[in-house]
Amino acid sequence: MKSLMDRARGARGALGALAIALVLITAAMLVAGASPIDGFAALFAGALGGTHQLGETLVQATALLFPALGIALAFRAGLFNIGAEGQLLVGGLAAGALGANVHLAPALAAVIMLGGGALAGGVWGGIAGWLKARFGANEIIATLMLNFIAASLTGYLVAGPLKSSPAGGPETAPLAHAYWLPVLLPYTRLSIALLIALAIAALLHVVLTRTVFGYELRAIGEAPEAARRAGISLQRMALLALASSGAIAGLGGASIVAGELHRFNTQLSPGYGYTAIAVALVGDLDARWICVAAFAFGILETGGLAMQAVANIPKDAIHVIEGVIVVLLAARRYVAARAAIAS
Amino acid sequence: METGRAMSVALALRGIRKTFPGVVAVDGVDLDVRRGEIHALVGENGAGKSTLARIAFGELHADAGSVEAHGTVGLVHQHFELVGRLRVWQNVLLGREPRTGWRIDTRAARARVTHLAQRNGLSIDPDALVEDLPVGMRQRVELLRELERDPAVLLLDEPTAALAPGEIDAFFATIEQLAHNGTAVLVVTHKLNEVMEHAQRVTVMRHGKIVEQTQIARTSAREIAQAMVGGELPAIAQRAATVLAPCLSIRDLRTAGAAGLRGVDLDVRRGEIVGIAGVEGNGQSALADAIAGMITHAGTVAFASPHTTVGIVPQDRAREALVLGWSLVENVAFSRFQNARMHAGPFVNFANARTDAQTIAQRFDVRAATLDVPVATLSGGNQQKIVVGRALVDHPEFLLAYNPTRGIDVGAAALVQSRLVQARNDGAAILLISFELDEILALADRVLVLFNGSIAGAFDGASADRGELGRLMAGGA
Ligand SMILES: Nc1ncnc2c1ncn2[C@@H]1O[C@H](COP(=O)(O)OP(=O)(O)OP(=O)(O)O)[C@@H](O)[C@H]1O
Ligand SMILES: [Mg+2]
Repeated sequence: MKSLMDRARGARGALGALAIALVLITAAMLVAGASPIDGFAALFAGALGGTHQLGETLVQATALLFPALGIALAFRAGLFNIGAEGQLLVGGLAAGALGANVHLAPALAAVIMLGGGALAGGVWGGIAGWLKARFGANEIIATLMLNFIAASLTGYLVAGPLKSSPAGGPETAPLAHAYWLPVLLPYTRLSIALLIALAIAALLHVVLTRTVFGYELRAIGEAPEAARRAGISLQRMALLALASSGAIAGLGGASIVAGELHRFNTQLSPGYGYTAIAVALVGDLDARWICVAAFAFGILETGGLAMQAVANIPKDAIHVIEGVIVVLLAARRYVAARAAIAS
Repeated sequence: METGRAMSVALALRGIRKTFPGVVAVDGVDLDVRRGEIHALVGENGAGKSTLARIAFGELHADAGSVEAHGTVGLVHQHFELVGRLRVWQNVLLGREPRTGWRIDTRAARARVTHLAQRNGLSIDPDALVEDLPVGMRQRVELLRELERDPAVLLLDEPTAALAPGEIDAFFATIEQLAHNGTAVLVVTHKLNEVMEHAQRVTVMRHGKIVEQTQIARTSAREIAQAMVGGELPAIAQRAATVLAPCLSIRDLRTAGAAGLRGVDLDVRRGEIVGIAGVEGNGQSALADAIAGMITHAGTVAFASPHTTVGIVPQDRAREALVLGWSLVENVAFSRFQNARMHAGPFVNFANARTDAQTIAQRFDVRAATLDVPVATLSGGNQQKIVVGRALVDHPEFLLAYNPTRGIDVGAAALVQSRLVQARNDGAAILLISFELDEILALADRVLVLFNGSIAGAFDGASADRGELGRLMAGGA
């Protein structure tokens, strides 16, 4: 039930961020002494130029889409969950450990792995929610601390108790081939995880715009005092919001394991959980725009390498540009939220 | 007042027009505000007063017309624009703090704000956090912030809506002093007695146009009201005989804090309106919050049955009652989600919410372009009508109404008051907390005076004497 005005704002925010990104990338190319036309041609060819490239772009988009949706859910409740990275890791670890140890029909095994990943991520987000509800802890700090704990804990577990073999690296045993998520695009690594992510996006959109839970969630974000007076428990909602947010990110981690890596290892995420904050903000916390934003970021991730080869700008420059966008958008949102609370 | 200097125009608006999607808010307005005058701007809710003030201030751009101001213009907003996380003195001096070297001289800053407040008869704690303050106090902060800037043209958008009567007098003494020193003052208000007592000229707006402009000496409150609504004022509904039955019983209610309650006993029965008279800050907020279950307290607050249905009109519509970014339909569902009509399984029942929104809009004469615009785009009075309408739409057995007509125009106020009386006639128990003695005298079957956290006196509505009430409200024994 978003008004037209809100929709325009959403589109403007996303397009504005995209425009800034393009300008910054162009500037970087010019500074590096390369032709922006050649650079962009390489970027798009690298990202979309063939089945393989498209598949890889969509793999990246999927990996970003899960945590971005989770982050959006929490942000809509006014909770700055920056713990998606940790939630992704524990979700992936749960899926990897379950997959390596259960012996079930393949379909059931997939459900168990994905469900276990979602549950682990949910618990991880839920801990932050509980700390907030019980002790009034700041969720930014709580989720950030939990990221470090998740990294250490998963690192420890796969180096020791859950290690595949004494001689192997820090990873769980490989999944039986039958447990792999089916491939969506033949001859690529793209699995049906993309469809699951899109289904979650649709579900999230419906929950936020149609259900009582979604309205209560947004109410605590937009008008906490009015929400409290309407009988909505801020504590309960904070717990639920952070737990569901973590569950979505955890599901993402599990889907990387089941669909792509086919085992858990500590290199599961090159920072998807952080990049996803940018995706969520560029998508204006609207599930539909977040799908678009995830695709755009997928293009940047995949095409960035090709661009590096042609235009001489390191791929890291793209991450710097992403960072700039996040800071700009987050600041804008933070200021708007504060102003709303003050008036 | 009509000396040569006083006649010079400080703010000249010419042919101002402003449209929003679906509404013409201001429709070709010419208005002069002169140096040294207090000029009242009145009109129905949604007439375009706030929009005009914001255009004159330069915060909104007119679609057509020109604004010419001699000197700086200050605006006290109808909906405050304060930073909740900052203290009072920080808000007042924001961006203009006194400095010693590169540091803010907090001592000097506090002293300046305290002095400013004292000089203008507005007492306030300069160190309080704005987000902790009740509406009346926030109003003062907003006012002090503009006074501090000493503008040549001062625009005041319902500055007294959240002030208590005693404060209103002090406030106008300040404003008159400013005008005497040459400030041009434009004051938007719904209180016509203020217009008659303090203004020299009045401009009446209706549907975005000026329908009347005259010297106060040549008109009366009644004529102004008629010009506003375009006819006679509606009368308040008659009280019918009712059967009284116990509903709310409060015993020895005590709450913490300086503005807390120190042992309050009161009963509200079905079929009656109990009015709480008093100056803000004598425990009204604590009483309302204790009944709403929002604060901890000692003593009992007991309803006749655990199933008693309750409707609440909180004191601050923007912060405590509405989600401003949501539509009318969504806000009508909000706060009633537990109501079986408002959901179908986990889903919001938008069809029923729309029906209720329509009912409310019609019964309370809410003026909005459609039911789907964000309530933030509604005029203040129309937002208030939604809050009152929503509290009554389920026919609650008990209604807590805290300044229910705050910001509502005289015509619509009579309508809202009639709805309260009708609810009472239909058997609702109503606790009316109001800073407007007139409102209490017009509506209440029984009047209790709240002073310093205790009930200082109880009267039958019919026999309550205004002078006696006033004396008790001021702390007289
Ligand atoms: N930002 C906005 N977007 C859309 N419509 C608006 C906006 N601001 C005001 N309006 C509309 O313009 C009209 C005039 O509103 P305004 O706030 O000026 O009324 P007002 O005279 O100040 O009323 P009140 O006495 O209730 O404060 C109303 O119909 C209102 O709904
Ligand atoms: Mg107004």
